[in-house]
Amino acid sequence: MTATMSKSPGVGMYPPVAKLNLAADPRKMRRIIAEDPEWSLTIVPLLSSLCLQHIVINFEEKPILEELLPSHKDYVLERLSPSLPLQVTANLINDEGYWKRCCKQRWGLCDVSSYGHSWKRMFFERHLENIIELFIPDATDPKTVLDMVPLSRNYVKRLDISQLLPPIKEPQKSEDDDNSDSASDMGMDGPSIDHFDFGILLDKMSHLEELHVVYRVKGCGMNFEWNLFEFTFRDCESLAKALKSCKTLRVLRIHQSKVDDEKCRQLVNNLLDHPSLRELNLSHNLIGDRGARAIGKLLNRSKLESLTVYDNNIRGPGAQAIAYALAKNSSLLSLNLRLNRLGDEGGQAIAQALLKNRTLEWLHLGGNEMTEPTATVLSQVLVQNNTLRSINLSCNRLGIDGGKVLEEGMSHNSSMVECDIRLTEVGQESDYCISQVVRNNQNQAHRKRNTQEINTK
Amino acid sequence: MCRSEVISLRKKMSQAGNLREDTEEAGPSVDSENPEERIAARRLRIAARNEAKKRQELGDNSHEKKEIKEETRKSQHQVEQSEKRMIKLQSDGTELVTNIQVAADSRESQRRAELEEAHRHRVEKLENEAKSSLEKFEEITRKWTVAKMKEIPQDLRDSLNSQQQLCALLIEDKNKLIHELQQEIKLSDDRYVKDLKKQAEDVDLMIERMEDQVKFLMGSYRDELDQIEKSFEHERKILLTGNRTKWEQHMKERRDKELENVMQRMKRVEEYEVLLQQLRTEDAEEYNMIKIKLDTDVQILEQQLQQMKATYQLNQEKLEYNFQVLKKRDEENTITKSQQKRKITRLQDVVNNLKIKCANQEKQSREENQNLTDDYTRIMQQYKHMQKKMRHFAAIDAKTFEEVWLMNEEEVKALVEKALDTDRLVHEQQLGLAWQRPPLAFMERCGPLQPQRQAQKTAHQAISELLRLGCSLGKGKYQEAGVGPEAGVGPDAGVGPGAESPGLAVEVYESGAGLESGSSEVEREGSGGEHSGTVSVKTVKKLLELLCDEAGFLIESKLLKLLSPLEKDEQSLMKLDSIFTAMGIESEEDVYKLADFFMKYRQTQGEQAQDVSAKEGVASPQAERGEHTSSCSPTSDLIHPNDVLVALRAYTAHHCRPREVAAPHQPSMLGLGGRDDSEDAAYWEAMADVIPEAKLKIWGALETALDKYHIVLTERSQFITDTQSLKQQNTELRMLLHQYVNSRVNAELEIPPTLVMQLAPE
Repeated sequence: MTATMSKSPGVGMYPPVAKLNLAADPRKMRRIIAEDPEWSLTIVPLLSSLCLQHIVINFEEKPILEELLPSHKDYVLERLSPSLPLQVTANLINDEGYWKRCCKQRWGLCDVSSYGHSWKRMFFERHLENIIELFIPDATDPKTVLDMVPLSRNYVKRLDISQLLPPIKEPQKSEDDDNSDSASDMGMDGPSIDHFDFGILLDKMSHLEELHVVYRVKGCGMNFEWNLFEFTFRDCESLAKALKSCKTLRVLRIHQSKVDDEKCRQLVNNLLDHPSLRELNLSHNLIGDRGARAIGKLLNRSKLESLTVYDNNIRGPGAQAIAYALAKNSSLLSLNLRLNRLGDEGGQAIAQALLKNRTLEWLHLGGNEMTEPTATVLSQVLVQNNTLRSINLSCNRLGIDGGKVLEEGMSHNSSMVECDIRLTEVGQESDYCISQVVRNNQNQAHRKRNTQEINTK
Repeated sequence: MCRSEVISLRKKMSQAGNLREDTEEAGPSVDSENPEERIAARRLRIAARNEAKKRQELGDNSHEKKEIKEETRKSQHQVEQSEKRMIKLQSDGTELVTNIQVAADSRESQRRAELEEAHRHRVEKLENEAKSSLEKFEEITRKWTVAKMKEIPQDLRDSLNSQQQLCALLIEDKNKLIHELQQEIKLSDDRYVKDLKKQAEDVDLMIERMEDQVKFLMGSYRDELDQIEKSFEHERKILLTGNRTKWEQHMKERRDKELENVMQRMKRVEEYEVLLQQLRTEDAEEYNMIKIKLDTDVQILEQQLQQMKATYQLNQEKLEYNFQVLKKRDEENTITKSQQKRKITRLQDVVNNLKIKCANQEKQSREENQNLTDDYTRIMQQYKHMQKKMRHFAAIDAKTFEEVWLMNEEEVKALVEKALDTDRLVHEQQLGLAWQRPPLAFMERCGPLQPQRQAQKTAHQAISELLRLGCSLGKGKYQEAGVGPEAGVGPDAGVGPGAESPGLAVEVYESGAGLESGSSEVEREGSGGEHSGTVSVKTVKKLLELLCDEAGFLIESKLLKLLSPLEKDEQSLMKLDSIFTAMGIESEEDVYKLADFFMKYRQTQGEQAQDVSAKEGVASPQAERGEHTSSCSPTSDLIHPNDVLVALRAYTAHHCRPREVAAPHQPSMLGLGGRDDSEDAAYWEAMADVIPEAKLKIWGALETALDKYHIVLTERSQFITDTQSLKQQNTELRMLLHQYVNSRVNAELEIPPTLVMQLAPE
């Protein structure tokens, strides 16, 4: 035996043909093959393993899994093909290993950490996303989507729809393209360019928590046409109703979808008093003052904690509406108004609201054409408010005086951990002082956290 | 812009990476463009670091106590510092990355502003254009009407041409505008493309920066980790070396100790070996000696053994002989023993018999005794009964005697009263003299005469009085003094009438005798006064108090308990009472006697002590007494409390013996036989002799005279009766006459007798 053992590495190295005829198969020469856990001395396989193999082969017709012993179950799961129909596997197999194989086979690159470390969830979410993204209204049968509902409803928590295809253009439609360029959204005639109707899906997804929607087409390339990027009124209506029916939704994100005032109001009207909505993201849209007013109304009729409406067209009046709501609000933690047109009017209103508000921690007012008057009110906020932790005022022309006022306010503050005043034309001195205060505050916060950790230990 | 930003990023990163130096440090900067300057800056930094380290070490030396703490802190410090550094790096990096976004934002906002401006311009332009074109159009339309008016074809053509020109102008304007707008569109398209490119660049840059950042961060994290590890390693090394040195030191100590122990042990072993050797030789010698000695001993003992054997032989024979003799004796003894035993049994029988007899005898005598005691009790009962009876009879006798006495006395008193009354009547009516009632003391008296003793004060009363008097000290003395004369007045008053009427002299005497007790009392009071002169009430009281305190043992404990709630005076009174009864002092006299005795005792004691022989015989008792009183007047000079008991014993020895002698008489008197009837006769005599002899004589003479007067009076009464009868006859006769005169026969008569009658009297 020792001889065989000593021989075996040599045997492994060289092709067996070069060896003696006896050692045609090197495995035959060995009596024990330690590296193979499946290897056994018996030449005829066990009946149980034969049965298991049979089960694996005929799993589609006769899915037998739960009845098996745990060790057998593992054996079967390891050998099941990832290409089995979902109708069979979806609600039967919970083994992560199997779903991992499915994912790997299908997409190759996978990051399971963003899916709560659940391969199954990842598989179903991405699968459903794919189906919806490739759904062509009027052409695809809605059944393809609805069929997935009973299979995936228990596992899907988030839907990140990165594109929604419009219906296939008819020749007559192409003639209207010129019009569609210049004409307003309202002018478009509805059914032709409506997208996938979420109404049929959302009310059935009982575990859905996050919904990210973009009404656009990915990678259209040279086939670009404006009407590929339309969010029609009917789309909006159906989406709003669908959202209202989905009671578990926590995060809603509709961006880059040309949401204007009317659509915004429609959406908000349906989201009022939503039981679970916590985050609303309407960035990169066309929301104006009226839409902002609607959002302000929503602020105090929901449990929103985070509101993101950057890159919109909100001006002074809209900001005032939001500020009015903010003054009375006690749930909002984060507010992002980047790249709007608030101006001093809106900025001052928001700052005044912050004097009363005691919950907001994170505020982004970058790129809002604010100037010194806003800075003076904000300095007051810095003195009086001690819940605000982070403020971003970049790309506003605060000026040197505004910087000084802010510096003054900052010197009385002890809660601010982040303060972004880049490109605001404040003096270097003020910049330095403010950053110093911020650093001190950071250190204090850090220390506090450390001591808390030590205490908890 | 992009380039410069990247450079600044690099700089910042390097700065952050080398952030161990003070940021405020002036002088050569590490970020400067000049490489030499950078080198200089780094050197400076290293020097500063070394200095800091030295300082820290010095600090360590100075604070050796906190060494361990500080050392643990070193690594912590390092960790904290690294953490801080990394946070700074991260924030810087993110800032760098976000810089692009911010820049884009600002660009975007600027673009929007520009767009807005352009839009405004465009709108304005369009409006202007619309206005002007409207004007032109209006002109054209106006011209149409003018042209319509024209009828000349040339004119019309001209006007049409001009119209056409105008229209063309208008259209040209419009076209120009359209062209401009199209140009703008093109421009904006270009711009859009540019923006796109720019954004793509930005994105690329961002990605690049992110990658840089990631790389750099990874590197710096690794560095920091290395440093932290190094610091830990360093600490560990220090600890290890420290522990090793300690360990080695301990090991060395141990080794030394062990070596020492081994050396000691070896030394000891050697010592012990020497000792052993010595002991061995000594023991061998000793052994030899002992052996020789023992050998000799053995020989001697063998000789002795032989001798002893011989003597044993002899003794054995002797003993055998003795044994034979003793055996014989033993037999004899057994015989005598059996005899003795028999005798003992016999005697035992006798003893038993005697015991039975004795028991019988005892029983008998006990019964007898019982009988006798029964008899005795019965007799005692009978005796008591008899006594009771006797007392009863005596009481009854006394009562009957008293009743008889009272009755007789009443009778006699009535008689006396009657006699006195008659005497008074005789005096007042017959003799016409003023009658004076003789003094009759006995008349007030009632019941049989009482024995004198009762009148005498008992000791108890005396004490109470004394105590009461003691309370009002001096006053009491005066009062007592005053009582004497007052008591003395009584007999004087009684004597007065006795002198007046000789018949009552005896009676007076008798009353005097009756009041003998009073007089004796007076005398005693006098003597009491005398006593108070010598032994003042105060001193007596003090004495009594002394007695009360000292002779407490004579009081029964039960009494003391009963007395506790009472007042102090009363308590002492009761105590004294009980003491006196215990001592046998009954009368006041005894009390004073006791006091006197005490005084005297003290005096004698004092005299004995003082040995004043000069005054002893010569001084008169009065003087002595005065002196005594003077010496006694301070109460503190009373008999010493310690001598009280001795004095008491002496007193009882002196005075109580006669009492004991007299004691047997007392029970025979039984409280009633003591009545002496010697005074009774005198009493009754006095009763009988209420009316004196002189008065009797007067009464005789008066009787005779009255008899004579009586006779005369009887005669007179005779005569009075005669006259009265005559008067009666006269009236009867007159009545008859009147009857005759007034009768009817007279009317019938011629001459009525009335007339005769009338004539007759005239």
